[in-house]
This record gives sequence, structure tokens and C-alpha cells, in this order.
Amino acid sequence: MSQTMIDVRNLTASYGSLTALNGVNLTVAKGEIFGLLGPNGAGKTTLLANVEGLHQPKQGEVHVGGISVQADAAAAKRQLGIQLQKTALLDDLTVAELVEVYAALYEVYLTSKEIDALLVRFDLVEKRNTLARRLSGGQQQRLALAVAIANDPQIVLLDEPTSALDPHARRAVWDVIRQLHDEGRTIVLTTHSMEEAEALCGRIAIIDRGEIVACDTPSALIANLKLNSMLKATVELPLEQVRTLPEVSNARYTGQHLEVETARPEVTLTALHELAARSGRSIRDVMLRQPNLEDVFLKLTGHALAESN
Amino acid sequence: MKRFLILTKAMTLMHLRNGYVLFWNFAFPVLLMFIYGAIMSQFMDYMTPGVIVLNALSFGLVSSSTMMLEMREKSVLRRLQATPLPAGHLVGSYLLVNIIIGILQSTLIIGTGALLYKVPVSAASLLLAYPMILAGLLAFMALGGIISGAVAKSGAASAIGMTVYFSLMFISDMIFPLDMLPGWLQNVVPYLPAYPVTQLVRSAMLNASLDANWMSHLLLLVAYGAGAMLVAAKLFRWEPKA
Repeated sequence: MSQTMIDVRNLTASYGSLTALNGVNLTVAKGEIFGLLGPNGAGKTTLLANVEGLHQPKQGEVHVGGISVQADAAAAKRQLGIQLQKTALLDDLTVAELVEVYAALYEVYLTSKEIDALLVRFDLVEKRNTLARRLSGGQQQRLALAVAIANDPQIVLLDEPTSALDPHARRAVWDVIRQLHDEGRTIVLTTHSMEEAEALCGRIAIIDRGEIVACDTPSALIANLKLNSMLKATVELPLEQVRTLPEVSNARYTGQHLEVETARPEVTLTALHELAARSGRSIRDVMLRQPNLEDVFLKLTGHALAESN
Repeated sequence: MKRFLILTKAMTLMHLRNGYVLFWNFAFPVLLMFIYGAIMSQFMDYMTPGVIVLNALSFGLVSSSTMMLEMREKSVLRRLQATPLPAGHLVGSYLLVNIIIGILQSTLIIGTGALLYKVPVSAASLLLAYPMILAGLLAFMALGGIISGAVAKSGAASAIGMTVYFSLMFISDMIFPLDMLPGWLQNVVPYLPAYPVTQLVRSAMLNASLDANWMSHLLLLVAYGAGAMLVAAKLFRWEPKA
């Protein structure tokens, strides 16, 4: 059985009268990339803040690397590498100075060679003498990740590591995260992008209104809910006839596009072609969309992830 | 210790790379000496200690907490809180850098006074004046710490700090002699924090000795400093107010 690196038990956290987390239970195993997926305000950052020792829970316990965060916050913090939602560094320092300082805060003292070796991995070595505040958004995010692992932690917590980045910079950060994972580190990241969660995470907890509503691998989350695929096509056919086709659970028109929910798209598509031929119509622009985490989120919470952000 | 030294070096570099810090702490005090020198050059012996205390007061109440407030607003303090760094190391390192800046600022003023306006300076007067300047700086910085802990935004802290600064500047015998004030105010001012510093620094610089009331001045200053430090520590926040 793999080693548990993060263990959250019955965690309830609040800000004044507002309950941000309600009885959350969670374990993360060594070497996982674990995603916390949910809309803004769902409780993702509060959950991380409790793991990081930045927030005192109202109830419950958090252990990182076997150490209780509540009993010995300093020792627990030594296990962690952290990147907060806002890139918040001492930005009047140069890139190399920042890495040196943040490592030293963990009593890890890096030589100039070690700092450069770290910066090479994050494609920042040419910026080593540049002030952090003069870096681009993508470079700052990569620097925040370099700083997060300057103390060589086995557990890395990343709070929305790619928010506000352009697609190119986002993919560069994904590569860095995969690299950290390949080194055997345990990574927990929060995101409200299902694309990011699907691309990076081995397991995902879907969090909504302070509660974890599901937790599994992305494929298992989709499979367990037996969600249908969506067949889209441009064709004019009576909806009542489409709804009687085999495996169809629902059908509707969005503008000129027919949208058909089906458990077995290949069977339904054949039947749809036959129906069109009988009606003297032709089908154009056929598209198939497999169920994804957005559908899972919608099914589990009753509202769309994108709408909530 | 190595961690503290690396952090202190980082804090020093951050201050030295900040244009606001450089202008208000190093250029402005010298500029102020030029202005006072141009207006009343024959009184610069008396004015120079006043300018030292005046700058120490603005530094303590406003400038010294500016960077800490900025770090809090930008969530830099929260990021530091996520590391195992003890809060005492952060505050200690920040204080040390600010004390050095405050002392350098006073040295610039003394140097300008001595070089340009022939203000008499002796080893004996400096040996007495610097500890008094240091005591004043600590008390003023602690009062500034109360302001920055109590308010949500750096703009508000600046506004409150400047209001207190200007009020104390005019009445604490720094620039305008105490006997120019109305009688009732003359009775109140000796109990305010800037007055004892002015008396201690001025007597040290002018006479190379402390005046007859130095003990009560110093006790009052220590009381202000210690009390304000306790309150500032209580109000210290890693995060901006919600």
C-alpha cells in the first residue's frame, strides 16, 4: 500500500460565520498529482490553507508527511513546497536572490551552482540577475514554482498555478508540474479548469460549497456516473422521431444543430443516418463529444463549473 | 543565525532598491536641512537636533512601516507565513534594517549640519545623542506599528501617520519653541512621545550632556516604546484585513 502524504480528517473551517469547509475527508498518496476541482469560492484555497498551516480549522485534523499541522505547524511546513494563488514573492529581489532566500527560510542553504541548476530546469537561468517584478506573467509563475521547490520538498501544493496565463505559458507550467511529478514528488493542485485537471491529475476531488462531492480518477468519475456522449449534427428531423432512436436519452435543437445524448453513439449515428435517408434529408457536420469532467460536475452539483466562475 | 542574516540581507536590498525609501529616507532629510538652513542659518545648532527628531518621527510613524504594509497587501507576508520562518525572525530582521536606515538618516542630517552650517559636533555629544536617537526611533516605529496593524490599507496608515506626525511636529519643541504654544498645551506636550526625544537629543547635541530631567524623559520614552511594542505585536497581521 502506498504511503499517505496528506491526510485530512473531518475538516471544518470557517471565516467568522461563513463555513468554508464542512467535514472534509481526503487522503493523498505518495507520488500522486491530485487535483482539487471546483468553482471560485468552493473552498479549494481554504482547504490548501489548512494543509499549509495558514488557517486554523474549527474542527478536524490535517497531517502532512505523518506530522500533525495543528500540533507542530513548523515541522509540517518543512515538508511542503508552496505556491500561493497570487504570485507573492519579495519582488525587489533578483530571481537568484529569491531562490536563495526562500530556500534559506527552510534552513536550506544553496550554493550559486545549485541555484543555477534549479533555474535551468525552469528556463530562468538567463534571468537570474533580473528583478522578479520585471518578469513576464509566465516567467513569474515559473519562478514561483522554482521557489516552491527550492527547499526540495516531497509534497508540493499549487494553488491555481496557471490562472491568468496565456495558453502557451500554461502548457509550459504543465510541463514543469509533470517534471516535478516525474521526480517522485507528491503534488496537490487546485484548479477550476477541467482541461487542466484532466491533463495533469491522476485523481481529482470535486469540491463544491465546502464539501467534496466526489473523488476518483477522471475516467472513473465519468464512468461511474454512466454519463452519455453528445452527438451533434446539422440536419432537420422531427425531434419526437429522433428521441425514439436506439440508445437516445434526450434530443434537442440548439439553433440549426441537432444535439442527441446517447449511451452508444455508433448505434445512434447509424439509426440517425437511416432516419435522415427515409426523410430525404442529408446530415452534415457530425461531431461527437465524449462526456467530460464538466458533465460530471454538472451532474453532481446541479450547476455548471464554467457558470460558477 | 544564517537564515536571519540571509533574510536581513534580502530586506536591506529591497529597501535600497526602492525609490520611495531612498528619496524619503536619504534625500528628503538633506533637502529639509537645506530649507531650514536657507531660512534660519544662524539657528542651525538649535534646529539640527529638531530636524533629526522630526525625521525620526516621520520615519517611525510612516516610512518604516510602508514596506511591511506593501508586503502584507501583496500577500508576501502570507507567503512567508507558509514557510517555517518564526515571526520573530521576520520582525527582527525588518526592525534591524529599519534601525540602520534611521541611524543613517540621522547621520546624514548631522553631517549636513556640521559640514554646511558649522553645527558643532564632538565625539562626546554623538556618543550621548545616538542612544537617544535610537530610543526615539524604536518608540516611534512601535507607534507606527500600531497604526499599520490597526488599519486595512497602506494609504490609510500613511494618512493617519502623517496626521499624527504633523500634529506632534508643530507642538513638540522640534522647530517651534514650547513657549510659543498656549499655556494649556505647554502642560500637555511634555507627556507626548516626541517631546522627550527632542529634549534628550537636543541637550546631548548642544551640551554633550543630558538635561536635569533626562531620567523622566527617558522613562516616559521607554514607557511609550514598550507599551506601543506590546500593542503593535498584538495587532500584527500576516494578511490584509478582509
